[in-house]
Amino acid sequence: MRLATKFIFIVSGILSLTLALNAYYFIHSQSQLLEQQLNERGRVLGHLIALISPEAMLSFDFLTLNEYAREVSRQHDVVYGVIVNDKGTPLTSYFNQQDPRVLDALQALGLDGETAPLTPPKTARVIARLSSSLYDLLPMEFPISHGERPLGQLKVGISREQLNAQIRSQLLIQSSIYGLIILFLCSAIFWVFRYNVMGPVNRLMDASRNVGLGELEEVAVTSRDELGSLAETFNSMINAIREEKDKLHYQANYDALTSLPNRMMAIDRLDHELRLARRHNELVAVIFIDLDNFKVVNDTMGHAAGDELLAMLSSRLLSRLRDVDTLARLGGDEFLVLLPRVQTLDEVKQIATRLLEATSERLMVHGREVIVHCSIGIALYPDDGTSAEELMANADNAMYQAKAPSHLPICFFTQEMNVRVRERLQLEQDLHLAVERGELELYFQPIVQAGQCQPVGAEVLLRWQHPQNGMISPATFIPLAEATGLIIPIGDWVLQQACSLLRHWLDLGLSPGALAINISRLQLQDRLVTVIRDLVTEYRIPANMLELEMTENILLDDHAQVSESLNQLQAMGLKLSLDDFGTGYSSLSYLRRFSFDALKIDRSFIQGLPQDQDGCALIGAIVVMAHRLGLRVVAEGVETAEQRDFLRQQGCDFLQGYLLARPMTASAYQKTLPCFSPATE
Amino acid sequence: MLDRYELAPDCPGTPSALSQARSARPKKHPARGLRWGAIGLLILTTLLADALALAPRAATQEPLTLGILPRRNATLTTELFSPLVKYLSTALGREIQLVTSKDFDSFQQDVKDSRFDIVHYNQFHYVRSSAEYRVIAHNEEFDRSTVAGALYVKQDSGITRVEQLRGKRIIFGGGEDAMMSYILPRYLLLQAGLKPGDYQEAFAKSPPNSLIALYYDEAQASGAGDILIDLKVVKENVDTDQLRHLAITEQLLHLPWAVLRTMTDDEAMRIQALLTGLGASPEGQAILKQAQMTGIGVANDDSYAPHRRIIDQVMPPSQDRH
Repeated sequence: MRLATKFIFIVSGILSLTLALNAYYFIHSQSQLLEQQLNERGRVLGHLIALISPEAMLSFDFLTLNEYAREVSRQHDVVYGVIVNDKGTPLTSYFNQQDPRVLDALQALGLDGETAPLTPPKTARVIARLSSSLYDLLPMEFPISHGERPLGQLKVGISREQLNAQIRSQLLIQSSIYGLIILFLCSAIFWVFRYNVMGPVNRLMDASRNVGLGELEEVAVTSRDELGSLAETFNSMINAIREEKDKLHYQANYDALTSLPNRMMAIDRLDHELRLARRHNELVAVIFIDLDNFKVVNDTMGHAAGDELLAMLSSRLLSRLRDVDTLARLGGDEFLVLLPRVQTLDEVKQIATRLLEATSERLMVHGREVIVHCSIGIALYPDDGTSAEELMANADNAMYQAKAPSHLPICFFTQEMNVRVRERLQLEQDLHLAVERGELELYFQPIVQAGQCQPVGAEVLLRWQHPQNGMISPATFIPLAEATGLIIPIGDWVLQQACSLLRHWLDLGLSPGALAINISRLQLQDRLVTVIRDLVTEYRIPANMLELEMTENILLDDHAQVSESLNQLQAMGLKLSLDDFGTGYSSLSYLRRFSFDALKIDRSFIQGLPQDQDGCALIGAIVVMAHRLGLRVVAEGVETAEQRDFLRQQGCDFLQGYLLARPMTASAYQKTLPCFSPATE
Repeated sequence: MLDRYELAPDCPGTPSALSQARSARPKKHPARGLRWGAIGLLILTTLLADALALAPRAATQEPLTLGILPRRNATLTTELFSPLVKYLSTALGREIQLVTSKDFDSFQQDVKDSRFDIVHYNQFHYVRSSAEYRVIAHNEEFDRSTVAGALYVKQDSGITRVEQLRGKRIIFGGGEDAMMSYILPRYLLLQAGLKPGDYQEAFAKSPPNSLIALYYDEAQASGAGDILIDLKVVKENVDTDQLRHLAITEQLLHLPWAVLRTMTDDEAMRIQALLTGLGASPEGQAILKQAQMTGIGVANDDSYAPHRRIIDQVMPPSQDRH
């Protein structure tokens, strides 16, 4: 049932009940009043007749008495008026035979008043008949007396029929009026309800339905009542949704940091520009910009500084573009530039150059001068692709190409890049299968004690023997493994293999020394502690026979988590060494914050020795500093005797390099291992 | 059937015109001083002279008074007899004043005082006033010149003889001067050997009421005119089949019309001729019909000898209350 119908039913019900009660009360009161009036009229008449009757009764003036009876009976509503003596015998015989009730009574009694007047007994029977048969008869009696002497009574029967008819008529009129009132009020209420309530409600419903369909339309506020407030609230909600939608749209399409279009918006715009370009045979250039070493800024100056740098840089880049161009931030330090309606390749190159220059200009971030370089990859419609995805992928490839060492920072996409990308993808897929296929193999490069050239252990190295491409350098596949996340399972496999071999060699009674295993930053998680603990337990090897090598970049991440993991590993007995020291940030704070056992001087510092005076000084300083910090020093890449001697002279503790031993297979390394003696363990 | 008896409305405190006229007349004062006697004589002489000079004119201009017994109310009486009064006035060349009385007592007093020039009353009244009035005509009602008195009883009363009324309650119509409803029924009772005291007397307001009272068992017998049972007014009020005559008197001449004995014979004869001649013309018949009569016949004092005889037996002059 609809709300309006329900409302009308309720209102009409309440009105009907109220008016019915009112009508009942009114009719009841009216009935009482009329009956009272009737009674009063009868009493007045009766008393009057009773007052004037004694003389006629005393003088036996029956004609007069009959005239009185006639006059009484002729009165309105009086059915009969009979005077009886003190014995109750009627003294008058007049009945109004025009009254149908009297006629009925006479007929019922088999009397005919026209042929002969009624005898007193018949008169009494007529009275009794009238009194008993007429439910609406009001019988009244008035004593007639002369002084104290009772003479008789005047018996009057007053009909309520007229009264009832009047009440019925009143009831009919009242009901009709009330019916009309109910009809009118219900109609009025219905129309008022319809226009004032249902109208706004329906408009709100339609508007709400439209909201569900995504159309945010406000409704007209036509009143200041609750519905008006509801409409205002609805409109406020619509505005809030609109704002939220705009906000979401903005958030979905724009970068919050730089207010530049994000990837989604960039793709939309690129699609749009491509449609226009397709229609007008125009060129569209897609430029992929990636900042070089932006992470360093974040790491060294904080993320706030990095964000500020990105904002400033985006403003600067934007200022170098035309109005029709689009600069979007794809995420991190990646930007995309769309250049629609370009005429030539040179024009694109000029714009790219301007962007490169803009990037390379000095920036003041948090009071410090920062110079950022970027790599720019460019793809052109329609030569390098016809879809947004293809163009963006190719520009990305070109950008990666630009990042390659010895390559210009601006690189136009070529089909060869795609070949390389495909090769890289193939390599990724092969790497997934390398562990299963057993294509990976551990190599061991011994580490010797500087003074006596006695091996004390080896660094575990990983080799990939590709079935088609042959031996693949770790420098090639390790970054790939890190990029794809394969470094985790591969790292686990290396640890497991190393532990297994250690167990094997120990079981053979050999003394393999400590094995130094490189750990990627991706591996250094909570699970690494568990993995190593399980392996040590499983293979029953002393934890101090394992040494984990890590580069400084591992330590750039969450310090607390890294520190916790390293502490746990050290607590297990493992040794930790800082690899490639000197090539990275060489932050001395790391040495102080993390408790390493050794640091390994990168081979690049060793190569110029001993001729390179600066290098010599640097080595000396590193050794002194390490020893002061209680760290052992391992020099990598020792290839000449001069280097060996110099390092010994400088106080290096351990040496590693081709001069001492090349990386070798496990079996080869096994052969170099001395037998176990309690002294060496 | 026309009503012969109508209710006479009570008019207490409303004196008749004749009474008013009577009260306006000068009164004699025999004991006066000589001087006042001389003055009176002078005035009388002057008046007599004036009367002698103006006698012919006064004879034609002085109105005659007509009294009608109040068996009906004054309004109805005036209504019924106005055409007759007009007729007589025109015919006589004299104004006739119709005088109605409020009740029988005042009427009888006026009769006794000879206040009417012409009077229409019942037989008892005439018998008692025949010294002052002489009868000239009588009524004819329902084409009858005579009427009788009767005693009535109810059919189921078991009374078949008048003697059985001894000790019973008898109701009479009107009063003790009602000829038909009292005197004649009493005459019947007397003939049956029942004297007053042998029965209980009661009086109804009017003769019809006496019959109705009998019907309503207010008495065991009723005294009234013999034709009363056939009157419409009675039949309309009671079932007359339940009533019957117990005894009826001889037929007696109907109500008389009389004139003052001081009236000249010519004038009396002229009035008699005018009254009895009414039935001869349509206009006269209309006047009679209006007065609820069927005719007026000639009558003289001898015509009422039977009445006198009965009255004297029933109500000897010594018992006359008047």
